[in-house]
Amino acid sequence: MRRLRPYAIPYLVWMGIFILAPTAILFVLSVTDLELYEPGPFSFTLRHFDVFAAPLVATTIGNSLALSATASAICLLIGYPVAFFLSRLGDKTGKILMSLLIVPLWSNMLLRIVAWEKVFTPDSFFTDLTGLSIDLLGTRGAILVGEVAMYLPFMIFPIFSVLEKMDRGLIEAARDLGANDAQTFFRVIFPLSSGGVLAGIIMTLLPAMTSFALPARLGLGRISLIGNVIESKLMKEVLGSAGMSINEGALISLALMLVAVVLFVGVARVDREGETLL
Amino acid sequence: MANRLIVMSGVEKSFDGVKVLSDFNLYVNENEFITLLGPSGCGKTTCLRIIGGFETPDAGTVEFDGRIVNDLEPNQRQINTCFQKFALFPHLDVFENVAFGLRIRKIAKDEVARRVAETLRLVKLDGFGKRSVATLSGGQQQRVAIARAIINRPKVLLLDEPLGALDLKLRQEMQYELKEMQRELGITFIYVTHDQEEALTMSDTIVVMKDGVIQQVGTPEDVYNEPKNRFVANFIGDSNIFDGIMKEDFLVSICGREFRCVDKGFETDEPVDVVIRPEDFDFVPPSKAKIVGVVDSLVFRGVHYEVNVIVDGREYTIHTTKIRAIGDRVGLAVEPDNIHVMKKDSHA
Repeated sequence: MRRLRPYAIPYLVWMGIFILAPTAILFVLSVTDLELYEPGPFSFTLRHFDVFAAPLVATTIGNSLALSATASAICLLIGYPVAFFLSRLGDKTGKILMSLLIVPLWSNMLLRIVAWEKVFTPDSFFTDLTGLSIDLLGTRGAILVGEVAMYLPFMIFPIFSVLEKMDRGLIEAARDLGANDAQTFFRVIFPLSSGGVLAGIIMTLLPAMTSFALPARLGLGRISLIGNVIESKLMKEVLGSAGMSINEGALISLALMLVAVVLFVGVARVDREGETLL
Repeated sequence: MANRLIVMSGVEKSFDGVKVLSDFNLYVNENEFITLLGPSGCGKTTCLRIIGGFETPDAGTVEFDGRIVNDLEPNQRQINTCFQKFALFPHLDVFENVAFGLRIRKIAKDEVARRVAETLRLVKLDGFGKRSVATLSGGQQQRVAIARAIINRPKVLLLDEPLGALDLKLRQEMQYELKEMQRELGITFIYVTHDQEEALTMSDTIVVMKDGVIQQVGTPEDVYNEPKNRFVANFIGDSNIFDGIMKEDFLVSICGREFRCVDKGFETDEPVDVVIRPEDFDFVPPSKAKIVGVVDSLVFRGVHYEVNVIVDGREYTIHTTKIRAIGDRVGLAVEPDNIHVMKKDSHA
């Protein structure tokens, strides 16, 4: 093992440059009055925290939480039965169907978002194909459907992997001890797959909370999420407008990152063997 | 006449076109300790799974307590199983594992507590209730699996090689305890094993199986002393098996020498298989013996020596407490009632 250690150095350097250093810069920006594009002497300040009180930001955070929680819940309701069904299939059929879920993920997400944009536009090619004219663009519904469509596979994968590895003997044991199908599910199968469910929730909740291309296109910018706020905060200064908005953007980013880290630590404590996240 | 609790008649089962059980007929009496014994792949586990309801027979019927139960789900049978790999619920502690069946039947809380405590005491796991099953040793997990099965007071307990994962010493202890438990509880045990010693020690009845076909059903004494065919004789205990010819009633010829025996009812000059157990040979002076050979090897086995004697180029295995040196010329004698004559296997 020790001889392999040098091979990890390129990755460690990569992580240092592209993850640790930016995080440090974000941290400095969020608690000082340093201006990113005009570096100079700076001093400590907490005034950027006021940004969370701004009505626009508060609404956005509310939007993000509500939409991502709903999307994640819908993903769970749809994804669990799918994962359960796939895990019961034979090795071969299960894998083929699973790859049907994976293949679309290889296409660019922006392309898939644009496709949904067309579907939700009245009198689009979708209307020509199906005769259905849907006018959802710019609504919460459009964002919700888009998020569910984007992130559903990430709910299915971890649940599938837990269910597939589950010892069938345990299910037989439950049946043997008198449990009917429902009792077997709620007393044995579901509790034993809770690690996968938790992982699935995190893997859908986090990207749904932070997505910004999706609400921009499907929501037409009418409903903004945290990602959109961060983007606009950072872009403002690039475009030359004054103020400390880039520092506020940094602070919001850090807050999001903190949420992500807390959730992951949560999973790691529940699932010590780390088998559900991969 | 004991009450026949389970009757399997004409049961057939195939997996992917391979016949695992064919024309399987077996009955199990109430309160019996019956063992299905055979090499791996002989269909004994399949037989158990059919009784438990985990497999449905392709043909034939399974009766339980006078009712045909072919299509009854496992959870509707008064049968519990002690699984080969224990199959304990990893998300529940010892108490909840044992209580599982009672919880399903919505038994009142204080009765659950009382019965779990009582059952844990029975399997000698007092005070283990709060332990996680992952922290238990193999033997302790085995006891939890048994407790979990017997707490439901089933009529029949199925045990699928339950001691296979334990070391020899523990296995012998558990054999004794299981037998005790069966007597105390008055539950019918159907036990599956490939270990002939285990089967001989514990069972009231042994069912010897090979390739999905029952070879012999009998008490341990029966199958050991009166094996029905070459396979049973070989599988149970060590055996010397000879090709012989039945000269007349009570007279058999082995290797060109004639011996008195206690078997009759064969045709004159009918070819037969003859079994002589290694412990049934006796050393006598060569001058007084029909069989004379030379000691080829000698292994100390604790209670006895295992001696190989070469007679006319054929090896005889003998278990004896008398010491002979390698190279000694010895005579072998055998009592008539220790010569066991069997019909030739028709399909051997």
